[in-house]
Amino acid sequence: MSATRFLVVQTGTIRAKVKHACTLGAFLLLLAGSLCAQQPEVTVSVDAQKLQELLTRIADLEQSQKQLLQRVAQLETLSGVHSPAVTSASGPVASSSSSPSLVLAGGSPKPEPTKPAPGNGQQSEQSPTMGETDHMDVSRTALNIRGFGDFGFYGGNQKGQTSSFSIGQTNLFITSDLSERVRFLTELVFEVHQNNSFETDLERVLLEGSLNDYLKLSGGRYHTAIGYYNTAYHHSTWFQTATERPYIFEYEDEGGILPIHMVGVQASGQIPSGKLGLHYIAEVGNGRTSNPVAEPVQNYVDENGHKAFNAAIFARPDAIPGLQFGFSVYKDSLSVPDSPRINETITDAYAVLIRPRFEWLNEALMIRHAPSGQHVYETPAFYSQISERFGMYTPYLRYQYVNASSHEPVFPQVGLRTGPSVGMRFDATESVAFKLQYDYTFLRRQGPIDGKSCIQLSMCAPSAAAVQVDFKF
Amino acid sequence: MSTRGCAIILAIVVVVALAFPREHSAQAASAALDARANPSQSLAIVVNRSNPINNLSFSELRKIFMGDRNHWPNGHRIAIVMLEYGQPERRAVLRLIYRMDEKTYQDVLLRGMFRGDVFVAPKTLASPTIVRKFVFNAPGGIGYLRASDVDESVKVIRIDGLLPEDKGYRLQIDESSKATDD
Repeated sequence: MSATRFLVVQTGTIRAKVKHACTLGAFLLLLAGSLCAQQPEVTVSVDAQKLQELLTRIADLEQSQKQLLQRVAQLETLSGVHSPAVTSASGPVASSSSSPSLVLAGGSPKPEPTKPAPGNGQQSEQSPTMGETDHMDVSRTALNIRGFGDFGFYGGNQKGQTSSFSIGQTNLFITSDLSERVRFLTELVFEVHQNNSFETDLERVLLEGSLNDYLKLSGGRYHTAIGYYNTAYHHSTWFQTATERPYIFEYEDEGGILPIHMVGVQASGQIPSGKLGLHYIAEVGNGRTSNPVAEPVQNYVDENGHKAFNAAIFARPDAIPGLQFGFSVYKDSLSVPDSPRINETITDAYAVLIRPRFEWLNEALMIRHAPSGQHVYETPAFYSQISERFGMYTPYLRYQYVNASSHEPVFPQVGLRTGPSVGMRFDATESVAFKLQYDYTFLRRQGPIDGKSCIQLSMCAPSAAAVQVDFKF
Repeated sequence: MSTRGCAIILAIVVVVALAFPREHSAQAASAALDARANPSQSLAIVVNRSNPINNLSFSELRKIFMGDRNHWPNGHRIAIVMLEYGQPERRAVLRLIYRMDEKTYQDVLLRGMFRGDVFVAPKTLASPTIVRKFVFNAPGGIGYLRASDVDESVKVIRIDGLLPEDKGYRLQIDESSKATDD
């Protein structure tokens, strides 16, 4: 970015020099021309040596101008920008907001546009692309920011659980279009954990490049494309109908059992498939840590040289608007302390139907942990959720299930967890929604996840209720 | 026949003679309306003149506006431009292409941005004049204008093989749809 700025600044300086040189050259030419033109009529005594000097200087200036123009062309090629005259052609266009995001822009406003020349067949070569129009001004930094937050009151009859007002996640979703094909995206989340302390996390930090419809490359920290839910709702309760994510898609630091985040690179795009609407996603990254007391997401250092890999394919057929179905396979190798290396395979299949007033999510996955030379553990899980909007009200029902072995080597505390949730979402305004949810959950061996109840090998069925206010800003 | 009778008959003939061509011309105008849509009510889809595309199917057009297709065949990224909230052309596009109301559109767009399905949100511009300038300047630009607002700085593309003035062209502005659309 700074290199580009430097190039553009340098380009501007050189351009100014060229302009100066051109002006001087033109003046000298005019002077020489006028002198020549006056020769037949008026006798002017001109020193031949002086004239020769002037001519030499003109030749030098022309040569210098030629070199500078070549240099400008080189720099423009490197920085990918056009001349300022072209830039100004669509100033007010760039100043218009891109709905629905807030645009923060600094720097001087762009000049009034030139009137397009009707019928000019060459305008495509002279005109900038939209991305260039937006971002050629180096003094301008444009951030699109949207915010989401939630606040609630939660309680349940699980032993040791108290009713509490809770601040949820406050999420700043920030994007910036760096060029026609490159975008920066981040989710900056402020959240409170069980110990009541605030934390700030960059939950997603991505640099994305869209080469064409068939290839988009991204690098950074992102949500692993395991199944559907994880990449559909990210860190905002606003978009999801229910108060919480399904248990199997809980975040790592909230007791989740999946590698929700990954640090690495991702390729995605469409697959030419006509009306079937196939898409693919392929990811390589650090995977999750095997150390239970360490930060679950390996943001900076991977504990081993092995990289996690995830591949997903999904379809959005034209024939049934809103339908999406697909599957994904995630593979990693974990080095759990005092345990042989564990090969992890997570397969997920899903089918969802999302329409403006109707939502039906169905997703099932199998988590397979295979310690070298030992018993293989398979943990099945699924959820199904259905909702329909009636005016401002959206009643919903979700059933979820996960059943892990008591000897599961990676998440031995999970056990069985299954049960229904019913709720109602009330969209009071375009930016504020209230949710009321009731959960009834059968638990077996539920220990450290939610705290102090349902002690080992006992079976209990606690219920919980939640009132949540979601908002966007 | 008396002079009075002749005058009455003559008056009737004149009235009929005057009325018939008028009725005939009204029929002709009606037929013309059937054959050619009203330019002020037809919505032209416009692109940059350098864009090689001349025709889009309606489903392709919908995919472009929904963000399912992001690049033109010549490699330029598609840059969608929308008119500001409340304008009849925008309401028509939401109703006919997006098939959703304003609130749902905003929600779908924000959701698409959040998920990454929509790489760049559509530009929202204030007037047809600025839309024309934008599309003129952006090689990947695509927008919509009343057919009567189109000039030669932009290229009108066919939708399902039809231009706005053709019979059967489906992108028509319905001024009476304001209440339902909003």
